[in-house]
Amino acid sequence: MFSYYLTLGVRSLRRNPVLTALMVLTLAIGVAASVSTLTILHMMSGDPIAHKSTRLFAPVLDNRPVNDHDAPGERMDNQLSYIDVGNLLKSGQGVRRTGMYGIALVLEPPEKSIAPFWTEGMAPTRDFFAMFDVPFLHGQAWSEADDTRGADVVVLSRKMAAKLYGDANPVGRQLRLLDAPFTVVGVIDTWTPQPRYYSLQSGNKFGVSEDLFIPFATAIRHETGHNGGMSCSTRTDGGFQGILRSECTWLQFWFETGSSADRAQLQTYLDNYAADQRKLGRLQRKAPNALFDVPEWLVHMKVVGKDNKLSAWLAFGFLALCLVNTIGLLLAKFSVRAAEVGIRRALGASRNDIFRQFLTESAVIGLAGGVLGLLLAFGALALLSMQSNAMAAVARMDLPMLAFTFALSVLAALLAGLLPTWRACQVTPAIQLKSQ
Amino acid sequence: MEIRPILAALMRNKTGPILVALQVALSLAILANALHIVSERRAAAARPSGIADESAVFAISVNHLRSDGPQQELATRNREIATLRAVPGVVSAASVGQLPMSNSGWNTSVAVDRKQTRESAVASTYTAADSLVQTWGMTLAAGRDFAPGEFMDLTSDSRETPRAVLITRALASKMWPNQPAVGKTLYIGMGEEAMGIPVVGVLERLQDHNARIDERGDYSIIIPIREYGANGGATYTVRAAPGQRERVIRDAEEAVRKASPDAVILNTRTIDELRKSRYRADVALSWTLVVVSVLLLLITAGGIVGMASLWVNQRRKQIGVRRALGARKADIVRYFITENILITSAGVCGGVLLGIGLNQMLVTRLEMARLPLGYLLGGALVFWALGIAAAFGPAWRAAGISPALATRST
Repeated sequence: MFSYYLTLGVRSLRRNPVLTALMVLTLAIGVAASVSTLTILHMMSGDPIAHKSTRLFAPVLDNRPVNDHDAPGERMDNQLSYIDVGNLLKSGQGVRRTGMYGIALVLEPPEKSIAPFWTEGMAPTRDFFAMFDVPFLHGQAWSEADDTRGADVVVLSRKMAAKLYGDANPVGRQLRLLDAPFTVVGVIDTWTPQPRYYSLQSGNKFGVSEDLFIPFATAIRHETGHNGGMSCSTRTDGGFQGILRSECTWLQFWFETGSSADRAQLQTYLDNYAADQRKLGRLQRKAPNALFDVPEWLVHMKVVGKDNKLSAWLAFGFLALCLVNTIGLLLAKFSVRAAEVGIRRALGASRNDIFRQFLTESAVIGLAGGVLGLLLAFGALALLSMQSNAMAAVARMDLPMLAFTFALSVLAALLAGLLPTWRACQVTPAIQLKSQ
Repeated sequence: MEIRPILAALMRNKTGPILVALQVALSLAILANALHIVSERRAAAARPSGIADESAVFAISVNHLRSDGPQQELATRNREIATLRAVPGVVSAASVGQLPMSNSGWNTSVAVDRKQTRESAVASTYTAADSLVQTWGMTLAAGRDFAPGEFMDLTSDSRETPRAVLITRALASKMWPNQPAVGKTLYIGMGEEAMGIPVVGVLERLQDHNARIDERGDYSIIIPIREYGANGGATYTVRAAPGQRERVIRDAEEAVRKASPDAVILNTRTIDELRKSRYRADVALSWTLVVVSVLLLLITAGGIVGMASLWVNQRRKQIGVRRALGARKADIVRYFITENILITSAGVCGGVLLGIGLNQMLVTRLEMARLPLGYLLGGALVFWALGIAAAFGPAWRAAGISPALATRST
């Protein structure tokens, strides 16, 4: 019977192409608006490292002076001072740990034909690559020894290596950074987790990735400035060394634990560390020391912007409007077929059969709306991604959202079809048969 | 015009009218909020930065690959600004630490008294070695610009207190309400180590480097110091003669490159680019909301037309009878238009309530601005007009129904 209803449905839709087109279009527009905004929201709030996200922790300490009042939302205390990062690195807590900060360097390519240019990079300790599952194309991360003494070594991104060396393996080659020769020890494969959860404070949260990595100790040794935010609550002694000695916060830190159950132990360590520092005269504010795993960190750093949420809400309001509109159109469509329904009922069709027939018709409209809605959604996402690099990284349809589009469209059509279908079933055969 | 018969007829068959009223309500709620947001964003993007004639101003950052020490760095910077000033078409040039609308810069806590425990405000801190008032064409609301002797070159570990500070009018009224700010002492930081700097002038307007939407977007100070010795890049802001900006940029870049013995990396940004980049997301959102609003109106209009046509078809016999009994065409049209106005009014009432409710959700959850009632009233008028326009076609067709229909039995 289902295929019969399907045929009936398609035939009836063809009978009045204008009305059908209007219904499909309305539904498609509503679905497209909702799906495109929801896709952006979905990509923005996705877990970028799902298999590990509850084992990676970012600590937050409050090292401001006691009498410092909060300037709400202003101080970037989501970063750490050099003193704390140094201590935490030496702590040996967790399976691995890494401290880092964003840097911007002028790169002098080995080929004199390419003029020197700016690059954006990261200066982490060597555990960074293992902790965040960074894939390597050539070579590997620098050694422990290089990490400790701050050797002049660099790991390039795939794009940067291609720009400088083409397809050749550049491991072992040299280039100039920070007015010194650096040796390339590795090239990472394409790696663009969205959002850039490990370093949300420096640079954009989406659509941007590092060109190169140098050891943390190397960047400090060369007195490289930070490419990100710094918050100082007291005056420093001046100069780079003054910043290192001060309570200015400008660095990021991550712990990796063996399992998510180790969190409590890590929290205890952090509290003990803060208590010890208090005896030395630091961390006087006695504020709670926080640990955030990756999902909590993304929420804490407000990765999903208010504008995106606004767009999603409005899109769903718009879908509701399209739904009500479709109900009206379906009502109009089904009500003129009272005679057809009357004859079917007189011939023995039960109310259920009529219900199923008209619901199938609604589902056909839903499917057609889904196809058109998907096309429109692709178009909308393409338009939105033209806005900026950050948008282009998230305005992308993936398989779950594709399936969701069809599901949403069919569900919306079925919902819209419920009332008109129920009305159609209420038709009394006798009255319809009586009219001449 | 009898309302009660129309109302009675509507009450008997409530589904259709409810659907139309619901569409009008939803559309009005969304439209009012969407257009309000569009107008807010546009207003934010149109705020002046304080720089006069932005299209003539640009900034050029110069980075040297090699450094020969702090004194050499200072000499190089002085040479570079002289080179820039010598480029034909350059009206004025200044060495500056940050730019408005650039999303890159420094904020500092400022206070009126050293003994304060809570800052008076947080201000965006511009440093300059030359007159920004001149290069950026800013207006002074009170006091004067820096005197040549007030500029200082400092290394980063210097403890010297700057000799003067310029503040914006908004900051002045925040820190010293109803008093002249010129002559007062502004403290950077608080406590023992705070630096007290005399205010010599008040700027009419200078946006902070983030171009924030809230009141802090207007709190800026300019300190006449230049930090050197860290081999960071230097940024120079240049005003070109009107209409010659592109050529001046090319000539300036070439001049700086030629004047430098070693390799330099240049990065030029125009103020127009900074503005566009700062407000790109807001403009995109505005356009999205405008498109959504247009679609809302089209869909609602379509819904009204569809419903009205359906009712006309369903009541053909009734209309025929009325015409046979003596109703004129105008009466029929008036009947349908009145019916439509009643339904739209119900929808508008619901829409106003829904709109306020939606706005309340936006204010509490997404920190958006409150909706002025004018938008809802304006929206109501739009939908009344839309409803009448949409219903007119079917109403006219209804009026064309022949009275002879009344005599037929079908």
